[in-house]
Amino acid sequence: MTNLLVLKEYLKGIYGKYEIYITPVVKFLLSLITIMLINAKLGYMSRLNSVTIVLVAALLCSFLPMNFMLLTAAVFILLHLYAFSLECAVVVLALFLVMFLLYFRFSPRDTLATLLTPICCSLHIPFVMPLSAGLMGTPASAVSVGCGVIVYSILQYISESVSTLNTMDAENAIQKYRYVVDGLLNNKTMFVMVFAFAVTVLLVYMIRRLRVNHSWTIAIITGTLVGIGILFAGDLMFDTNISIISTVIGAVLSLGIVKLLQFFVFNVDYSRTEYVQFEDDEYYYYVKAVPKIMMSKPSKTIKKITSQNKSAAQPPRATGSVIRKTDKSGMK
Amino acid sequence: MLACAHIGRGEGMLHEERIKLMTKMASYEENEGRHNIAIGNYFRSDYISLQVMKSIISGTLSFAIALGVYGFYHFETVMKEMYQVDLLETGRKLLLTYVIFTGTYTFISYLVYSYRYSRAKKSLKKYYSHLKELSELYEEDFKR
Repeated sequence: MTNLLVLKEYLKGIYGKYEIYITPVVKFLLSLITIMLINAKLGYMSRLNSVTIVLVAALLCSFLPMNFMLLTAAVFILLHLYAFSLECAVVVLALFLVMFLLYFRFSPRDTLATLLTPICCSLHIPFVMPLSAGLMGTPASAVSVGCGVIVYSILQYISESVSTLNTMDAENAIQKYRYVVDGLLNNKTMFVMVFAFAVTVLLVYMIRRLRVNHSWTIAIITGTLVGIGILFAGDLMFDTNISIISTVIGAVLSLGIVKLLQFFVFNVDYSRTEYVQFEDDEYYYYVKAVPKIMMSKPSKTIKKITSQNKSAAQPPRATGSVIRKTDKSGMK
Repeated sequence: MLACAHIGRGEGMLHEERIKLMTKMASYEENEGRHNIAIGNYFRSDYISLQVMKSIISGTLSFAIALGVYGFYHFETVMKEMYQVDLLETGRKLLLTYVIFTGTYTFISYLVYSYRYSRAKKSLKKYYSHLKELSELYEEDFKR
C-alpha cells in the first residue's frame, strides 16, 4: 500500500510537471483507439483504414477540444456506413442528429462518457463507464452513458447483419431501411442495457454522496451488483441472450478498474475522521472532515566526501558520493 | 481576464495573499467561470427565453427527423393511403404529437436552464466577493 501511495505521488508530480504534453498524448491515444475500433468493427471504406488518415485524424483530435473527438468518430462511422449501405448511414445519421439536438446541447462536457461507453463495451468491461460516471459525474451522465450504449448497439447490430443486408436487393432500399430501423427499435438487449446502466449511474451517484464511511466502495459494489441483477432479470423477462459468465467476468474486471480509479481520485483515511462544530452569524456548521491519505516522496540526500591531500606520502583517498535514501514517510 | 489585469499593478514586494486570490480567480475564469461569466451577462428572463427558443428549434428539428424516419419506414402505406385518409384529422394528430413532444422537451430545458442560471449567479457572487477582497488588498497597499 505504501509503495502504491508513493507511486501515486510520483505520478501526480510527473503529471503536474508535464501536463501540457501528457494531455495531448492521452487525447491522441484515446482518439487512436476509438478510430481503430471503428475501423475494425466497420471498415467498409478502405481509404479510411489507411494509417495516414487514422494518424492525421488522431493528431487533430489531440489538439482540438474533446467534442471534436466525438465529431471525428461520428464522421468515421457515417462514412463507413455510407460505403456499405446508404440506408444504414441514413438511420445512424438520424440517430446522431436527434442525440445531438436533444441531449448534447444540454451537456456538451459529458461527451467523454458517450465516447468511452462503446469502447468499454467493445472491450467487454461495460460496467466501467456507468460506475465511473456515477462516481465522478452528475445524474445527467446516465443519459450520456445511455447514448453510448445505443451507439454501440446499433453498430454491433449492423456489423452482425452484414451478410443479411448483403443478400437484400440493392433496388429494395426500403426493405433494408426497415431492417435497420427494426434492429434499432426491437433491440431488447439494448433497452435492458440502457436501463441497467442508467439505474447503476443514479444509484452509484446517490450512494457515494451519502454521509457514511466508505461510501465510494459501497457505491461501486452495490452499483455493480444491481447492474448485473437488472441485466439478468432483463434476460429472464425478455430473453435477451446475455452471457452470464462474460457479464460476471466483465463486471468483476470493471469493479477492479473502478477501484483503481477510486485510489487515484478519492483516497481517504476514515480512521482519522474528525467531527467539528462551529457557528457564524447565520448558521451552525456540523462538519465531518475525512483526511486524504498522502505519502511524501522519499527524498534523496547526497553527501559528498572529498579527499584532502594532507601529505604527499599518504596514498590518495577515494573521492565519491554517498546517496542516502531517507524516507520522510508517514501519512499526513 | 479580470484577475490577470491586476497583476501588473503590484508595487514593491510580492503579496502572498493577493497572489493566492488572483490564482484562484484566474483558475475560475479559465474553467467553470468562463461559462458562468457568459451566463451572468444576461438578465434571467433573457437567458432563459433564449435557451427555451433554442430548445423549441431543437425539438422541432428532432420531431421532423423522427417524422421523416417514420414516414420512410411506412413509405408504401403512406403512398397508398395518401388520398384516402382524412388529411385534417391526420394533421390534427400530428400537431398534437408535436406540441406534446416539443412542449415536454421545452419544459425540461426551462427547468434545467433556470437551475443553471441560479447556480451561475451564486458562483459569480462568490467570484465578485473575491474581486472586492482583491481590490481592498490593493487599496491597503496603496495607503501604505
